[in-house]
Amino acid sequence: MTTVTTPTENVRRDTPVGRTRVIGGIMIAMAIFILWIFAFGASAKATSIITFNPLNTSGGAPWSLGNLTLPSRISTLILGLIALGAGLETMIRIPARRVMARFGFVSVLFLLGLFVWTVRSGGPSPTNFMDVTDVLVNASGITMVLIYGSMAGIMCERAGVVNIAIEGQFLGGAFVGAIVASSTNSFVLATVAGAVVGALLGWVLAFFAIRYRSDQVIVGVVLVTMIGSLTNFLNLTFLTPYQQYNTGVTPSSIPIPLLDKIPVVGPLLFNQNMFFYLMYLLVGAMSFGLFKTKWGLRVRAVGEHPQAAASVGIRVKGVRYFNTILGGAIGGVGGVAFIALHGQFNPGFTSGLGYIALAALIFGRWRPSGAVVASIIFGLTSMLASGLQSFNVPVSSEILGMFPYIITIAVVSGLIGRVRAPAADGIPYKQD
Amino acid sequence: MTDAKPTLWQRYLSANPVTISFLAILLGFVVGALVIIFSSADVMHAWTQIFNSPGGIFHALKVSLDNVGAAYRAMFTGSVVDPTIFWHALTTGQGWNAALTPLSETLTYAAPLAIISIGVAISFETGLFNIGANGQAILGGIAGTAFGSMINLPMYIHLPLTLLCGVAAGAFFGLIPGVLKALTGAHEVIVTLMLNYVVAFFLLYSLLSTPLQLPGQANDLSRVILPSAQLPTFFSTATTLRVNWGILIAIAVVAFGWWFLNRSTMGFDFRVTGANPNAARASGINPKKVIIYVFLISGGLAGLAGVVQVDGTTHALDGGFLIGSAGIGFTAITVSLLGRNKPINVFWGAILFSALGVGGRIMQAETGIPLDLATIIQSAVVLFVATPVLVQEIFRLREGNLHTIQLNTKGWGT
Repeated sequence: MTTVTTPTENVRRDTPVGRTRVIGGIMIAMAIFILWIFAFGASAKATSIITFNPLNTSGGAPWSLGNLTLPSRISTLILGLIALGAGLETMIRIPARRVMARFGFVSVLFLLGLFVWTVRSGGPSPTNFMDVTDVLVNASGITMVLIYGSMAGIMCERAGVVNIAIEGQFLGGAFVGAIVASSTNSFVLATVAGAVVGALLGWVLAFFAIRYRSDQVIVGVVLVTMIGSLTNFLNLTFLTPYQQYNTGVTPSSIPIPLLDKIPVVGPLLFNQNMFFYLMYLLVGAMSFGLFKTKWGLRVRAVGEHPQAAASVGIRVKGVRYFNTILGGAIGGVGGVAFIALHGQFNPGFTSGLGYIALAALIFGRWRPSGAVVASIIFGLTSMLASGLQSFNVPVSSEILGMFPYIITIAVVSGLIGRVRAPAADGIPYKQD
Repeated sequence: MTDAKPTLWQRYLSANPVTISFLAILLGFVVGALVIIFSSADVMHAWTQIFNSPGGIFHALKVSLDNVGAAYRAMFTGSVVDPTIFWHALTTGQGWNAALTPLSETLTYAAPLAIISIGVAISFETGLFNIGANGQAILGGIAGTAFGSMINLPMYIHLPLTLLCGVAAGAFFGLIPGVLKALTGAHEVIVTLMLNYVVAFFLLYSLLSTPLQLPGQANDLSRVILPSAQLPTFFSTATTLRVNWGILIAIAVVAFGWWFLNRSTMGFDFRVTGANPNAARASGINPKKVIIYVFLISGGLAGLAGVVQVDGTTHALDGGFLIGSAGIGFTAITVSLLGRNKPINVFWGAILFSALGVGGRIMQAETGIPLDLATIIQSAVVLFVATPVLVQEIFRLREGNLHTIQLNTKGWGT
């Protein structure tokens, strides 16, 4: 990590100056939107109620926090002014680091402003309160699936194989997961089955990408379509006549004693199904494994410079096979996690989540921790699309549905600034 | 490399592009057959009984072949010609309509597929993946339908303008990934994939909440394109032969694609960029300009395909427009890979895959095997076409000029 020193500028920037200004401009626009629409669009006497108890307390309620009644206009005014301040600060000071963190902060303020505005008394929402815990818990499901997907991608791409087939691994894992979970009622077995199917799909990708050096993007896209149509096909020939194999069972939540009693955090992190806890383990293991162990160093070497790695005796193809298969298995488990969330298998029901996971890992700069943050942002926006409809926001549901995809485009268009893929990512290795 | 000149037969058996494509199609059908066998309860039951009776294995084989045969026969008779009906028409002079319907349907669907595939092939030839052709086509269809159904003009001006609207909408939508890629380096695969989902929502939005929706209709149906803007059919509308001027437009587009890639300056720039971006940059080709123009042309052709589809067949949009089993955009990717981006080959590929799709529908109706089988076969064909070495190994072909078939491979960053 050397610092690039030039005569005019001796800081290493995450985001170029021009792009930082654009991001600052967007932040200011959001702030003005909060002030204009949310603050002055609400009547001066309106109040918004914020609650913290989850609506579904079947797994045990956390300690109660009571309700917060806010004056709508004053609180959105404060939110808008903070956002404006952050925007102006970015615009004028042009900070060298954490531009995206500031952007994320303003986005959260925007979201809060939106909720305060929509649940105000006399507002469009049928319920006149907003349950923070419930909103976050709703967003957590999609976030979890996205995290599995981006981990599947990181596993492959760090070793230099582009895994664009995450969507296919999701669908394959979900299909088999639904059958196994419905027939055995065991999500542990379903997870194993999903992992096996995912690993098989990972092997197919590896087989074409490593052995035959086919174009990985083509193979990935084709695999997604093939698995998509194969699961459609099998859904019609098998699951439709034998519905006992697609009953829509979901795993029960496993509360962690004491921790689940913490308001907001408890229901969100410590009273979820087994796939959440498995995800914590996975993210931890991958962050540690990739950056703190000998294995991780080898994987990264293969992804950055396979020739150099081979010259010190690392088996490049072996590492790539292993990682692509492992990544596929993680993707398959992600599919089972989606089933745990969704219940029944429906053809094509992941609707591009695998590609959003791919964008999340790019946003997260090919790091597990970054991908987790990105997945949370995507999870919240996806929740926005479905959740806002229940608040009767006066925007058509089809337009809201475009939201996660547009955000994804904005993200890969480099709103995030400079990202650098592993140097040999997607380039077949030729031994000579 | 031997000194002796290979005989003609040896040349056929070497790994040349035509042999590879043919064998890839064959392998695709083998994969389809395996899917039929493994998904059919009768067949699997027969295979579990092979040790129970002396002729069990032959019975199981026969059941397998019967099932696969019935499916592929339905596909063939549904998309090319049914020999018995054709013979009946030939001998009695009656029923030509029924005898020609399969071929007419195949050509009807081949027209937009060929147009969109040429667009995709141009982007592939430049080393760019336009996976968003589906969205561009849908947007073209929406724009064309809006113009064709809500504006009254005489035909000789209405029809061309309707088509032009589709081209403009597709080109505009193609511009988005092009500009983003040129200016920010956003990977076009993700951008175009995401735009496909955006367009799917936009289609529903425009069919449910805009004046495009059929008046008095609560479902996702559009207004009907006025007769003055419809593509004329070759036969009277009393017949079921829907083949229309779209196929002529497709042939014109194929000719344009051939001229563009092989004879025009810009097409040359495109191909140089696709073959070696560094050499292109060194020789003074502006890569950003190339990227933007590629997506403009590719998107415009996709938009034209969308408007030809709606203008030539249904004359109105519904919520499932062009989405189908995998979407026309994906089929176009497979077609242009199968045709190795050569416009003439792409045209034949479009007819073949259109026949697969049309036949697949008949197969679904007659045998109950889902239409998705056609997509499975297409994906398998592409996997094999994209991996010529594998085909060569499976059939133990002689070494050929494989490097001309293998696709250019690039990393994420380029």
